[in-house]
Amino acid sequence: MPKKAEKQEGASLEELFVQLEEVIRKMEGEDVSLEDSFQLYHRGMDALKQCSERIDEVEKKMLILDEEGGTHEF
Amino acid sequence: MAKSIYTVKQVNAYIKNMFTQDYMLNRIYVKGEVSNLKYHTSGHIYFSLKDESGTIACVMFAGQRGGLSFRLSDGQQVVVLGGVNVYERSGSYQLYAREIRQDGDGALYERFQMLKKELEEMGMFAPEYKKPIPAYARRIGVVTAPNGAAVRDIMNIAARRNPYVQLILYPAQVQGEGAKESIVRGIRMLEAAQVDVMIVGRGGGSIEDLWAFNEEEVARAIFDCQIPIISAVGHETDTTIADYAADLRAPTPSAAAELAVYDYRQTQMRMQEYGLSLNRLLSQKVAMNRLRLRDCQTRLKYLHPRYKLQVHRQRLDDLEDRLRKQMERRLTDSRHRLALCMRAMKGLSPIEKLNQGYSYVEGEKHKVIKRVGQVKTGDDLSVYVTDGVIHVNVKDSLGYSKGELAQLHILTE
Repeated sequence: MPKKAEKQEGASLEELFVQLEEVIRKMEGEDVSLEDSFQLYHRGMDALKQCSERIDEVEKKMLILDEEGGTHEF
Repeated sequence: MAKSIYTVKQVNAYIKNMFTQDYMLNRIYVKGEVSNLKYHTSGHIYFSLKDESGTIACVMFAGQRGGLSFRLSDGQQVVVLGGVNVYERSGSYQLYAREIRQDGDGALYERFQMLKKELEEMGMFAPEYKKPIPAYARRIGVVTAPNGAAVRDIMNIAARRNPYVQLILYPAQVQGEGAKESIVRGIRMLEAAQVDVMIVGRGGGSIEDLWAFNEEEVARAIFDCQIPIISAVGHETDTTIADYAADLRAPTPSAAAELAVYDYRQTQMRMQEYGLSLNRLLSQKVAMNRLRLRDCQTRLKYLHPRYKLQVHRQRLDDLEDRLRKQMERRLTDSRHRLALCMRAMKGLSPIEKLNQGYSYVEGEKHKVIKRVGQVKTGDDLSVYVTDGVIHVNVKDSLGYSKGELAQLHILTE
């Protein structure tokens, strides 16, 4: 499990959404066992949680990039 | 006097023909200053082009007005594309204008076309080099003037759509001396800052104002940049070399912000929908499996040995009942038969007969005496009565006649 979480670290919001769609598509299939459903559900919920984390909810002021590569508020 | 005399018409026609057949005069760019300008009510425009040496009469007919994108005024420096021809009525030649551009534009336009063609041939505008714009950029670089309308527009749109993305502005000089270097530097610095996507552009302006975005250095910087770039130069109608080189062209800076900044609320809604879907699907699965479980439980219950045992026991009880009933019936039957037999036996009992005054007579050797012929006078007989035996001696015997016998038989039957 930790290995998986590590792999997810780099996933973009876009990739996470693709994963979610995939999970939901699989769960909609009739031939999924209950155990698999639980696993899929956990994966989906994980992805959702990570989506939330990706949307870092801190209102941001525009930054100015100066010639030295430093930034300060606009 | 000259030998040949021509009419005015002939001469004018001859000259007109010379003009018409001249390839160069039919398509010529003439530059000069506008004077004697007159917008006629018919839609035609009459004016003269002059320079320090002289003037040439010009006309732009209403049908050609598409070639003029600004309002002419006296004193303007312009370049006119048209054909020189003769106006026979006054015997004068004039320039029939098809396109009029402000001077300065002309040279710039040529440069623009040449550079565009050159870069296009080098493949810098090829679609296969276009990088996709990330749908969910978190850090967005902006190369534009820090005090222009463009940066305000981008900030407003970003704040409205998603205040949580980080905008990083490189305050560039977008026009005048040093503009192209400033823009190039901005692109490189934001690339080094590893933003997810970049907006490069400025608000509207004249072709000179936008010129930095037509420079080869800027186009190359955009092309070489590893980060996807959205160009947003001027208004919808202004297309610059930078627009061709960019991965995506936005008609305005506002539009560029719309393309770069994903809508927060929409994304949240999408996530909510997915969450609901997941929950719904899982509950469905659980409910379905619960149903299946209940079904199995019911079926298993029927298969339990206890249940089978009960069935067998019941059958056994059944059989036992039937057996008992049969037995009882047999017993009753037998009892009836016994009763019948007993009654029959009673009728046959010799004791009964003795009670009624009959006796039982034995001769020698306990032989039953039934007929007269069995005894003779002097025989000893034993006569049994109800309470004992009488020993007698035969004195005499007499048989019945046949008629008397017959009477007896009738009586007994």
